[in-house]
Amino acid sequence: MGRVRASWRVAGAVGLLAVAPLALAARAGAGPRPIYQTTRHDAGTPNSDVVVRHHGVVTSYGDSAITYSAPPATLKALGYALYLENCATCHGTQANGVPVAGTTGAYPNLVGLGPATIDFWIESGRMPATDPRSVEAPRRPPRLTHHQALAIAAWINSLDPSYPGIPTVHLRGGNVATGMALFALNCAACHTIEGDGDALARSTFAPSLRHIPATQVAEAIRTGPGNMPRFTGNLSDYQVRDIVKYVTTEIQHPRNPGGFGLGGLGPVGEGFVALLVGVAGLALIAFWVGERQ
Amino acid sequence: MSDVSPSGAARPHGRGRYGRVSQAVTELDERLGVARGARTFLDKIFPDHWSFMLGEIVLYSFVVLLATGVFLSLYYVPSSTVVTYHGSYLPLDGMPMSQAYASTVDLSFAVRAGLLMRQMHHWAADIFIGSMVVHMARVFFTGAFRKPRELNWTIGVTLLTLAIVNGFLGYSLPDDLVSGTGIRIAYSILLSVPLVGTYLAFWVFGGNFPGTVVLERFFILHVLVVPLVMLGLVGAHLALLVRQKHTQFPGEGRTEENVVGTPMFPVFMAKTTGFLLVVTGVIALLGGFAQINPIWQFGPYEASRISYAVQPDWYMAFLDGALRIFPSWSFHSFGHTIPLEVTIPAVVLPGLLFGLAYAWPALERRVTHDDAIHHLLDRPSARPRRTAAGVAVLALLAMLFVASSTDVIANFFHLSLNTVLWAMRVLVLISPFVAYPIAYAIAREMHALHGAGKRKTPNVVTRSAEGTYEATPAPAFVDDVAEELAPAPVPTFIEEEGPAVAPRPSRGTRAVDR
Ligand code: HEC
Ligand code: HEC
Repeated sequence: MGRVRASWRVAGAVGLLAVAPLALAARAGAGPRPIYQTTRHDAGTPNSDVVVRHHGVVTSYGDSAITYSAPPATLKALGYALYLENCATCHGTQANGVPVAGTTGAYPNLVGLGPATIDFWIESGRMPATDPRSVEAPRRPPRLTHHQALAIAAWINSLDPSYPGIPTVHLRGGNVATGMALFALNCAACHTIEGDGDALARSTFAPSLRHIPATQVAEAIRTGPGNMPRFTGNLSDYQVRDIVKYVTTEIQHPRNPGGFGLGGLGPVGEGFVALLVGVAGLALIAFWVGERQ
Repeated sequence: MSDVSPSGAARPHGRGRYGRVSQAVTELDERLGVARGARTFLDKIFPDHWSFMLGEIVLYSFVVLLATGVFLSLYYVPSSTVVTYHGSYLPLDGMPMSQAYASTVDLSFAVRAGLLMRQMHHWAADIFIGSMVVHMARVFFTGAFRKPRELNWTIGVTLLTLAIVNGFLGYSLPDDLVSGTGIRIAYSILLSVPLVGTYLAFWVFGGNFPGTVVLERFFILHVLVVPLVMLGLVGAHLALLVRQKHTQFPGEGRTEENVVGTPMFPVFMAKTTGFLLVVTGVIALLGGFAQINPIWQFGPYEASRISYAVQPDWYMAFLDGALRIFPSWSFHSFGHTIPLEVTIPAVVLPGLLFGLAYAWPALERRVTHDDAIHHLLDRPSARPRRTAAGVAVLALLAMLFVASSTDVIANFFHLSLNTVLWAMRVLVLISPFVAYPIAYAIAREMHALHGAGKRKTPNVVTRSAEGTYEATPAPAFVDDVAEELAPAPVPTFIEEEGPAVAPRPSRGTRAVDR
């Protein structure tokens, strides 16, 4: 996103302030142990009774709306090479969040995060990060291919197999109506009901959902990137599928039967049009037909 | 009045100059004596200056509001009874929702031209209040509210208040996620009124939020009570305008004792009918091409749901802005809580602003000790203190308006929301104090500058054979030939056989004594 970069420095400066306490904490707990573990994605399973595992990795939460698959283990070696090249400076050679010597800062431990998390952060372009102090690494065009992301996820997963795996959403049977209701209940409070995203407290932002592919939407719901909550137990795969379907259809391709959508800015945009086109336009016409002395 | 008196004189034979029309009018006059009233009405003089047409935008968008509103009320169901939607909009299929929301969605998608009417109604409302503010600013900055027109100013301020209230009520009716949030905020504002808040809120909502009666109540207020009062006030506003006659800008041939302009019939009537069509046309174009309030994207309101970034319509935004930026103060004592963070921005502030608007004519008189009757308008620059005060209040309102989009600003410029919030607090507080001196200085300068804001005529410089130069003013523009500025008097009787007075000047400008 262009505008993200434009004000990146401001966000960076505030980000620095926010990360400073973390860095201090990191000093205090010096040693080989992991610096911080954000989320270990093996707690709790969704509403379904059956959890299908394959070689210890959950392939399904028991219903057929989404298939979770572990990245092929054969890519492990390639993944390790790519990891050392792109990630090890910050996340450490063992992916445990201890950066290589000479790198300062605090980095999350990646072991046990599950392939979906790794895949999401790489494929959304957030990783490899450019700014080591970032609190909310921005979405960017991905720098690694899908194949490379799978490979890195395969290697990290081999350290401690965990889930969720990389989801494939079977959108066919999805129901947009329930999707909309669930979206209003679970997501609109941050991403807005039209999915445009908005500024949250301090320098954090709920991003726009207008251009996120289905897989990443499902990954975000199941893994909860950054400041977003992770939805596991309270949403079944059917429900996640409905949300993904709603996001990728109605939100990403809104039908605007009423004419131009006015950028989804709601009453802000409408107010500008009413005042600038309506009132000012009519006043100009009055100016034109009336006498001006 | 015609020479034919109703008291038994024989009707003259023949049909007169206007044939059947004459006859019909004569018959009517014989029975109802309408000629005198009609004469005054048809000869009412309207000044031609463009700024006098701002009020017409208000009037005509009101007409559009009434017409489209009647259409909408035929299909809208004011009920919070929960129904299951099975209409033509598939993304909501099978969902439980209030009948109000379901009927609004149906009205948009299943009724022919329903969406157009809804959108026109909404755009018309936004334009109605917008042009009202602009019209009010014109009246304020030119001093048109001075004696003898204080009453009409008061009616105008009341109309603005009612328009804002009715706009909010209408915005609430669809019962979608966004408007439901608005009702929730209104409920909290009522609650925040000191001492009587709880009773007030329960009285309006028939119990706790959300209750089951609020939509019905809002509906009857929105379509009947408030519009009826407004209609009466608009009538009084216009009647006073006819009774007191228009104000006018000072200029050639214009005095405190006359009004110069075009008579109602035929010139003004043609012009204003055209303008009615223009206003309707612009609103229809917006309604047809620019989507407004797509409630189907928001889903039905449920107390457990909320969307981030909900804003009210623009005319409520200054209240929203004040609510957003006010620090979280509250007052607890004697077992009572007064949430100052809501009471001050949402109850006290609008009270003060509208109170100031009502009181302004009296306040100004108290300062200027000016008890004279005024029909000639001020140029804003001639009254720098009034102008500066108006600009200061507008600046404050504008900043509050901007403060209602703190999140949009933070998101757009990728700034911290908290930084934007603090910046807006500072800007709101300083804006009137910065705006006042600037506006004052500009007004003073413009007034001192001779001929500022007036159209200049070029000088033609000629050189004689001896080498001397001579400057003569160029002939006036074709537009402002002197004859046009010299108004013809208005006749005081009906002349069936053609005008007895001198032929009217080109654009039909006339003058009438007050
Ligand atoms: C410049 C340093 C840097 C590099 C290089 C880097 N990261 Fe990160 N990574 C970070 C920081 C800082 C965060 C925390 C960011 C945040 O919270 O927004 C993070 C967060 C993550 C997370 C999210 C952890 C969680 O708990 O959700 C994942 C997954 C991740 N990185 C994977 C990678 C992978 C894979 C690579 C290599 C392709 C990589 N990173 C390269 C600095 C880096
Ligand atoms: C508490 C607020 C919050 C809620 C609730 C929330 N999100 Fe998020 N979401 C965020 C934030 C913050 C981010 C950005 C994370 C980051 O970049 O570090 C985000 C990121 C995302 C992304 C990734 C966007 C991108 O730019 O790559 C998707 C997709 C997403 N959310 C979908 C959802 C869905 C679907 C729901 C409802 C099930 C939801 N979110 C609920 C706050 C929220």
